[in-house]
Amino acid sequence: MKSISLGQYYAVDSPIHRLDPRIKIVLAVLYIVIVFLCSNIASMALLLVSALVIVLASNIPIKIVLKSVKPILFIIAFTAIINIFWTKGEGAPLLDLGFIQIYSKGIVNAIFLVTRIFVLIVGSSILLTYTTTPISLTDGIERLLGPLKKIGLPVHDFAMIMTIALRFIPTLMEEADKIMNAQKARGADFTNGSLIQRAKALIPILIPLFSSSIRHALDLATAMECRCYRGGEGRTRMKILKCRASDILALVAVIAFGVAIVCINIFAAPYLPF
Amino acid sequence: MAKIKLENVSFFYGKGTAYCKEALKNVNIEIKEGSITGLIGHTGSGKSTMLQLLNGLSTPGEGKVYLDGVDIWEKPKEIGKVRYRVGLVMQYPEYQLFEETVEKDIAFGPKNMGLSNEEISERIREAIDFVGLSPDVLQKNPFDLSGGQKRRVAIAGVIAMRPEVLVLDEPAAGLDPQGRDVILDGVFKYREKTGATIIIVSHSMEDMARLCDDIIVLSHGEVVLHGTRDEVFSESQMLERIGLAVPQITLLMHELSARGIKVNNGIYTESAAVEEIARLMKGTK
Amino acid sequence: MVNSDSYIKIENLSISYEEDDGGRTSVLKNISLDIKKGEYLAVLGHNGSGKSTLAKLLNMILEPDEGKIYIDGKEITDPNMTEDDVFELRKKVGMVFQNPDNQLVATIVEDDVAFGPENLGIPSAEIRERVDEALRVVGMSEHAKGEPARLSGGQKQRIAIAGILAMKPDCMIFDESTAMLDPLGRRDIMNTIEKLNREHGITIIMITHYMDEAARANRIVVLDDGEILMDGTPAEIFEKQDKLRECGLDVPQCVGLVHSLKARGINIEGECHTPAACAEAIIAALNKRDGKN
Repeated sequence: MKSISLGQYYAVDSPIHRLDPRIKIVLAVLYIVIVFLCSNIASMALLLVSALVIVLASNIPIKIVLKSVKPILFIIAFTAIINIFWTKGEGAPLLDLGFIQIYSKGIVNAIFLVTRIFVLIVGSSILLTYTTTPISLTDGIERLLGPLKKIGLPVHDFAMIMTIALRFIPTLMEEADKIMNAQKARGADFTNGSLIQRAKALIPILIPLFSSSIRHALDLATAMECRCYRGGEGRTRMKILKCRASDILALVAVIAFGVAIVCINIFAAPYLPF
Repeated sequence: MAKIKLENVSFFYGKGTAYCKEALKNVNIEIKEGSITGLIGHTGSGKSTMLQLLNGLSTPGEGKVYLDGVDIWEKPKEIGKVRYRVGLVMQYPEYQLFEETVEKDIAFGPKNMGLSNEEISERIREAIDFVGLSPDVLQKNPFDLSGGQKRRVAIAGVIAMRPEVLVLDEPAAGLDPQGRDVILDGVFKYREKTGATIIIVSHSMEDMARLCDDIIVLSHGEVVLHGTRDEVFSESQMLERIGLAVPQITLLMHELSARGIKVNNGIYTESAAVEEIARLMKGTK
Repeated sequence: MVNSDSYIKIENLSISYEEDDGGRTSVLKNISLDIKKGEYLAVLGHNGSGKSTLAKLLNMILEPDEGKIYIDGKEITDPNMTEDDVFELRKKVGMVFQNPDNQLVATIVEDDVAFGPENLGIPSAEIRERVDEALRVVGMSEHAKGEPARLSGGQKQRIAIAGILAMKPDCMIFDESTAMLDPLGRRDIMNTIEKLNREHGITIIMITHYMDEAARANRIVVLDDGEILMDGTPAEIFEKQDKLRECGLDVPQCVGLVHSLKARGINIEGECHTPAACAEAIIAALNKRDGKN
């Protein structure tokens, strides 16, 4: 059996891990807004410091955190280059290659952009996926969106679907692996041939996988019914989410940080070069 | 010469990660041509890993797997041919069926082998005969069959490749006694008619006692016993210690011994037990 | 048996399903059965004998064509039953299925066990108590925070049992719940079932085709082609070895042994369906021969 760990959840204990998932979702949204508010060198510097504080508070090794940035390194590099080459600044360009000019504003823009994306990914993944299990994240979303039930949105059903999907991903992955091996044992070849041949070769995997998903779904529906499930109405929960002092504190800290950034934007800007 | 030989085979899962687990440790076994060898061990003992090494679905981390004295990974590009020669029936094989008709599904393997249509239809008929299905199921949709029938179709799909070695991972799991007998008889018939080597995994010691010539016992990735059926069952205490279900008859002998009656603890078949108890009743205590 | 009140009463139950060609195949034919409170009943039969259909009827997943089923004095086959009535009845009769993977809803063990009680609308603190207790009974407390995906089949099945137990049912139906497990897992589940019956007074209906499992019940009903072929204690049932074999079932090896001995003129008397009981019976026979008692 393969060990499949879902998402990026990193199981250690930290003040951030212990926060209420609803608060974490709110914090993540606030933080994203703040990231976009930063517009000068001082606020950017403060933003980087805040990201470092979050990483340290989460007890997650920096190495692991940097891994999450790896897949989008290409996109970051690409946007940085576009910014450097295509931003037209005032005055003389720093470098003139004839067909292209590089202005100092372009470089500054690129640095700001890279910092923003970097902090955005690190901050939100630490606040959400690294420190919150998918299930409590779903739970948090359900409860945050709770008020929308009143206007008839199926919030509970959506959360239940998410929960079950999360629950069955490892099962179906294992199953796909087994089916693939079974067909390989009958001579199926998934690696050679043209694109069309390879797509065709997937049919012997997809059909059994599809039928087994349906089987799982039917059985699960029966089992849920036997366990008296009839939707969200009248349902209670074992784990009640509670906002504790630490949650409030975190919220206040992030809001205060946002205010600080706005102040720097307004009052410090005239004295800064960028 | 041994049909299959594993030499110093080790296998790791998730090598290089924190989850690295050694599934097989330095396994050395030889399997005789034409024999039925039972492979037993509790869940996680490395049985399934071992089966997947035999037909090249997995590559050994260390060591070599030989088929007729030739390293199966000598020409990695030709591993597909090894898979036709060593047919593997996985656990709950009915979940791999995908074609619209039983006939097409059984034909999947032979078609991949590039056989002619006549050859394929001959093999299909032969295969369903081994598993005790009648030809009129051929045009049915496999999804309309009963669970036991689907299982037999899936096994026929491997038999139709006429493998020299037929490997089955718990072919009777979850079936009732009748369903189990049909499949095990079919496997036995296949060996009798083709002289193929059979390797079979089962949790049922009763089935093993009935079917196998040799038995291999795996525990925590290591071969702890490998010998003839008699040799292995005489170690029933060891089997129990590593958490395997010994036949009820053997348990009865243990119960008698524990109550101070002198009996042979290695008995595992009903007929031997009848003789033993008849002897007991004739003799004095 | 705790008392002799009938808990589940089945009267002249029949069900059939429609074939592709429009004809009907009957699955259960005019079955009547009385199951007492606290009873440990095994329903034996080969695949397709109708035993799983019976379970589905008891849990109102299917509706019969004819006949009535009463649970705890209430008719569950009444067409005027409201959704709330169904809810109340499902609370009393819990069901554990064959594939443990298809019964677990949540990604954390204790959350899954809590699923049933949550549906019942029980206050949070009490759910906590029930979940902890249920996990303790099935011996899975240490895995409370674990992920089901990382557990063995037998462990998953014990979680499924805990999930039903936390709803505090009177009766539990096991629909071939050991069929996909290895011997260790099977043994764990069988021991758990026995514990539920003995220590918690839960009525057990166990559907199986394993003889050694059925041998542990106090009563066995053998179904064959939708009809009740036999109904009695394990000793009474295994007595009729030939009849069992006819309908595609085995007898436990020890019982087979005693039959073969009888054919050789050696009589072993008493219950012989477990190795320990059989050993006692053989010793009794030896003593009898020696003129001891």
